Amino acid sequence: MEFVNAFSVSLQSVWYDSGFASFTLGNGIMIAVGLLLLYMAFVKEFEPLLLGPIAFGCILANFPNTGFFGEEMNVMKAINYGITYEIFPPLIFLGIGAMTDFSPLLARPSTLLLGAAAQIGVFVALGGAMLVGFDVHEAAAIGIIGGADGPTSIYLSTKLAPHLLGAIAVAAYSYMSLVPLIQPPIMKAMTSLEERQIEMKELRQVTKFERVVFPIVSTIFISLLLPPIAALLGCLMLGNLFRESGVTDRLSDTAQNALINIVTIFLGTGTGMTMSAESFLKADTLLIIALGLVAFMGGTAGGLIFGKIMCKATGGQINPLIGSAGVSAVPMAARVSQVVGMQAKPGNFLLMHAMGPNVAGVIGTAVAAGTMLAMLK
Amino acid sequence: MGHPATTNPLIIMMINMTVVFIVLVSLIYVIKLIHFFDPTAKKEEEKSEEKISTPPPAPVQTAQVVEEGIPQEVIAVICAALANYGYAGSQIHAIRPILNKTWEHSGRYYHE
Repeated sequence: MEFVNAFSVSLQSVWYDSGFASFTLGNGIMIAVGLLLLYMAFVKEFEPLLLGPIAFGCILANFPNTGFFGEEMNVMKAINYGITYEIFPPLIFLGIGAMTDFSPLLARPSTLLLGAAAQIGVFVALGGAMLVGFDVHEAAAIGIIGGADGPTSIYLSTKLAPHLLGAIAVAAYSYMSLVPLIQPPIMKAMTSLEERQIEMKELRQVTKFERVVFPIVSTIFISLLLPPIAALLGCLMLGNLFRESGVTDRLSDTAQNALINIVTIFLGTGTGMTMSAESFLKADTLLIIALGLVAFMGGTAGGLIFGKIMCKATGGQINPLIGSAGVSAVPMAARVSQVVGMQAKPGNFLLMHAMGPNVAGVIGTAVAAGTMLAMLK
Repeated sequence: MGHPATTNPLIIMMINMTVVFIVLVSLIYVIKLIHFFDPTAKKEEEKSEEKISTPPPAPVQTAQVVEEGIPQEVIAVICAALANYGYAGSQIHAIRPILNKTWEHSGRYYHE
């Protein structure tokens, strides 16, 4: 009899400690969301490198009684620290800097204007978010989705609206993977066939001196002007300096391969871990996803409008299609400009021309984030 | 977190957009200054002028290498793309696939 009692008590104890006893409908829905994101990442190949870890982190975050965010330190809590203390986004930027070639931007610096114009989407979404009831800090974090820059979106939302991080990250990365679907209809609607057929002159050669000095000078200038983004921009430019110096190949290789891959795993998993049922299953999440789309479309339109202005101002030397690459999403947005240009005129190579506004968009989004931080924090 | 100076969306939009444009326009001038003070620019220009002034050497016929497994259509596309940038078909020495996937990977990090 004593054995049966002990066995029954043990079984009850196992049951009450298990996740099944505390499992809620919300947990079930979020695990289904995680599975859907996994499907999109691995079957549909929508940003699999980031959406995969985010999806798995989302599933892990919705198991009750795991103690991931309890008193004791554990691996998931440590990973979460990397998000909370804004460690991972600048490290991702280090790798991106090592992968980025600023030559097209240095050869035609006027394309920085397109990178600035494409930030219009950020501010349109910010205004929209405030109109539907988000406070100014939340609205700024939502608006930055329009910059099409994942690390910056995570960086800003961690600082201004950490409770919205999961929804903002999912919206940002989902829309970035959908750039080839979202942008072309807007590009075709806003430009004439003649404009899309414009062939651009070959870019001038950029010297090594320019490529080495630019990351140093721009870091000094922007970091002094907007200190809140010194970590982001400094890492971007340091990575680029590794690439361009010609004497730090090993560091450049590590930054653009091993380091960024490791940090991507942590950033994705940690972001997914913020998607608990309590924080994600809200009407706000749907609003954020809708506003993210508005931001993306606004950014694309802003870049195209400025592209058309530059086309007129230069007497038809600039193809307005490169304006849409002003949203970051490197190099996908530039590839979309290339594809739409090729559809209008086979043999019209816009890729290198579009890389200028594309990398300008990365700087522009970081500057927009820094401006909002300086103003709102 | 402190109180922002204003919560009017329109004013926030205008101020932020203005700052973004000012910073990026300043960067345009920074780039132009770097180009202006570039001590290596003249040497590069001289080098390219020398290249132009020296008569081109007689074309050396080298065996062109095309790795097996590359379809004829792909070779044609590569040749056409290079021809568009002013290179003759005889200047292509080899066409072979590389294992570097930096572009593919960089496309997936952003998202960036």
